Amino acid sequence: MEMETIRELQAYGYAFASVFFALILYGYVYHLYTSKKKGGTDYEKYSNMALNDGLDDTPIEKIEPLQEEKQMRSNK
Amino acid sequence: MFHWLEKNPFFFAVGIFVVIAYAGVITILPDFMNSARPVVGTKPYTVLQLAGRHVYIKDSCNACHSQLIRPFKSETDRYGMYSLSGEYAYDRPFLWGSKRTGPDLMRVGNYRTTDWHEHHMLDPASVVPGSIMPHYKHMFSNEADIETAYAEALTVKKVFNTPYDEAGMPKLGTFDESKKIVLAEAKAIVDDMKSPEVKEAFAKGKIKEIVAIIAYLNSLK
Amino acid sequence: MQSSNMINYDYSVAKLFTIATIVFGIVGMTIGVLIAFQMAYPELNNLAGEYGTFGRLRPLHTDTVIFGFILSGVWATWYYIGQRVLKVSMAESPFLMILGKLHFWLYILGVVAVVVTLFMGITTSKEYAEFEWPIDIAIVIVWVIWGMSIFGLIGIRREKTLYISVWYYIATFLGVAMLYLFNNMEVPTYLVTGLGDWWHSVSMYAGTNDAMVQWWYGHNAVAFVFTVPIIAMIYYFLPKESGQPIFSYKLSLLSFWGLMFVYLWAGGHHLLYSTVPDWVQTMGSIFSVVLILPSWGSAINMLLTMKGEWQQLKENPLIKFMVLASTFYMFSTLEGPIQAIKSVNALAHFTDWIPGHVHDGTLGWVGFMIIAALLHMAPRMYKREIYSKKLLELQFWLQTTGIVLYFSSMWIAGITQGMMWRATDQYGNLAYSFIDTVTVLHPYYTIRGVGGLFYLVGFFMFAYNFYKTMTASKVIGEEPQSTSPMAA
Repeated sequence: MEMETIRELQAYGYAFASVFFALILYGYVYHLYTSKKKGGTDYEKYSNMALNDGLDDTPIEKIEPLQEEKQMRSNK
Repeated sequence: MFHWLEKNPFFFAVGIFVVIAYAGVITILPDFMNSARPVVGTKPYTVLQLAGRHVYIKDSCNACHSQLIRPFKSETDRYGMYSLSGEYAYDRPFLWGSKRTGPDLMRVGNYRTTDWHEHHMLDPASVVPGSIMPHYKHMFSNEADIETAYAEALTVKKVFNTPYDEAGMPKLGTFDESKKIVLAEAKAIVDDMKSPEVKEAFAKGKIKEIVAIIAYLNSLK
Repeated sequence: MQSSNMINYDYSVAKLFTIATIVFGIVGMTIGVLIAFQMAYPELNNLAGEYGTFGRLRPLHTDTVIFGFILSGVWATWYYIGQRVLKVSMAESPFLMILGKLHFWLYILGVVAVVVTLFMGITTSKEYAEFEWPIDIAIVIVWVIWGMSIFGLIGIRREKTLYISVWYYIATFLGVAMLYLFNNMEVPTYLVTGLGDWWHSVSMYAGTNDAMVQWWYGHNAVAFVFTVPIIAMIYYFLPKESGQPIFSYKLSLLSFWGLMFVYLWAGGHHLLYSTVPDWVQTMGSIFSVVLILPSWGSAINMLLTMKGEWQQLKENPLIKFMVLASTFYMFSTLEGPIQAIKSVNALAHFTDWIPGHVHDGTLGWVGFMIIAALLHMAPRMYKREIYSKKLLELQFWLQTTGIVLYFSSMWIAGITQGMMWRATDQYGNLAYSFIDTVTVLHPYYTIRGVGGLFYLVGFFMFAYNFYKTMTASKVIGEEPQSTSPMAA
């Protein structure tokens, strides 16, 4: 391929990806800041993951262990 | 979609990877294809010069000396013609350096001689008063590793088609042939040197590191 | 879950890496101080024959600090934070325990190999990637094991959502892996020819390409090690130690992506080629700035987390270390782009301003954050209070003074040198010979050495304090919820 064409493709690749990533990023910002109002997640609650991080503390959103894992854990 | 991603570590990791990799492809790859072709007159290093280059790397000369003359008048006045991309076509690895504690060495072969280097390596401050460069006396007792240098030259010839053994280019041949060429090249340098230690060793067919590194430094033009 | 009452977090791997952090910190920084003084007093090059010259020691300094001190710190905190924010103990999985220990011992083996080969002068010469191919392979294995241990722990977690610190650890893992692999593509010469040293290799890239890949790696990979995992630490330790939730968790999430873009996208605007229509170019430039903006969020977020709680800064030395660390983070992320401006770069490149810039970041931001992190972990890992608050206060001021001496002397040295290289007399001839620009720096090199020495002495005080905490300090009953207990 000609270097000219490569350069041109590179420039388009750069410019359009910038726009694409920026849209995703700011879409994400919009999602983050409206999510609570729309009845979705309140993101701020996740900061408690650092503060209440004992093994006995209740997880913010719990994962139920699979059946066999449960057994393995209770065997201990 | 965003919330889902935050809870699925695998796809989250894929996301990060795509972002990082795409940026890499866009910023690096095209320049890569443009891989500069050698400037006319640029030749691969001879085996002795390569052995010297290995000494240069072994003692990290590149930690204090650059090999990159930038296109500013203050630099071309001091060091000579600014560097062209094609001049580095056979440099594996590149040795541009990142810090100029000492001066640039890109074209040191144009203005320093074997004799100068010999004295300078023994006691830099005796040649350049005030120099903070350490002496490199061990280069006068350590032997240059010609075999590894030959192995590298042969490797780049085989793997990257570096034009050894072509018309007007350095000759490689078999290892035995190469050793003869190296000795002849080293002789020219040893003859210009004063160190009895180096001369005696050479009489026995041994090449010290200092001979190799001077061959390399003299080739930088 | 009832069964979880019987198990506790298992810090055995975290403890191993903690010790490694302190040991490599001492080794790396001692070499650093020695080579700093070598520039002021060149006789110091002759202490150990060919093995003691600046050239041999400089890669040893950078690699011991980056891959010894900092990486051990990253792993010590990962094996601590990882369990806690995922709410799962490593003791629950014998496989992860074995993996963690294997990770540690293979890594130590790798570091030993690095130290020995660099002393011998076996190096590829590429900065922060000096290791020859057999060590590169070992490093890849260690890295893969770390990845397995990250995703293994995530796989058995109880907390569904990943805390922001975990994001940063994942990004470190992926980013460094990719950059390292590409930069270290090399052909072992012995395997091709059967001659010469078996460990020797030749780079797959030549000249300008090699330089391009190297500095793509050199800046990004090092930035990934100096920034990304350190932010992971501050996002956990600052809130935890102060008892304050992060000011804005949302901001922390979006500045994560901002940072991912900044390192790999910044500087890309020079790629815009002139045959492309103007509007595409303009759009590209504008959006790339827009992308990078949120990356500053982390530092601001940290300072705002302390909002209304500034009295803690006076009372708690650990908060002091962390707040100063985030200040240095902002400072060096401001300095970096300034140095990247074309005309500034023309002056600053190749001068001492560059090591100056690197050291604001590493001594101030990385060093302080790792010190604070280990001190926070100590009472929880060893069930003892921190040995001496007074010593800690003294260490803080000594090290801060050291950093200030370091960067101010290197600023002056760098700018002086840059100006003298280009200075001309009235006829347009160069005004100074090169050696003039070296001898003039002697006082600044001395001041820099003293600054480094202050920091090193402070680090020894930290090591002593830590050792006493482990062995002789008062035992505490219950794990502290926030502020780490310490004896006066």
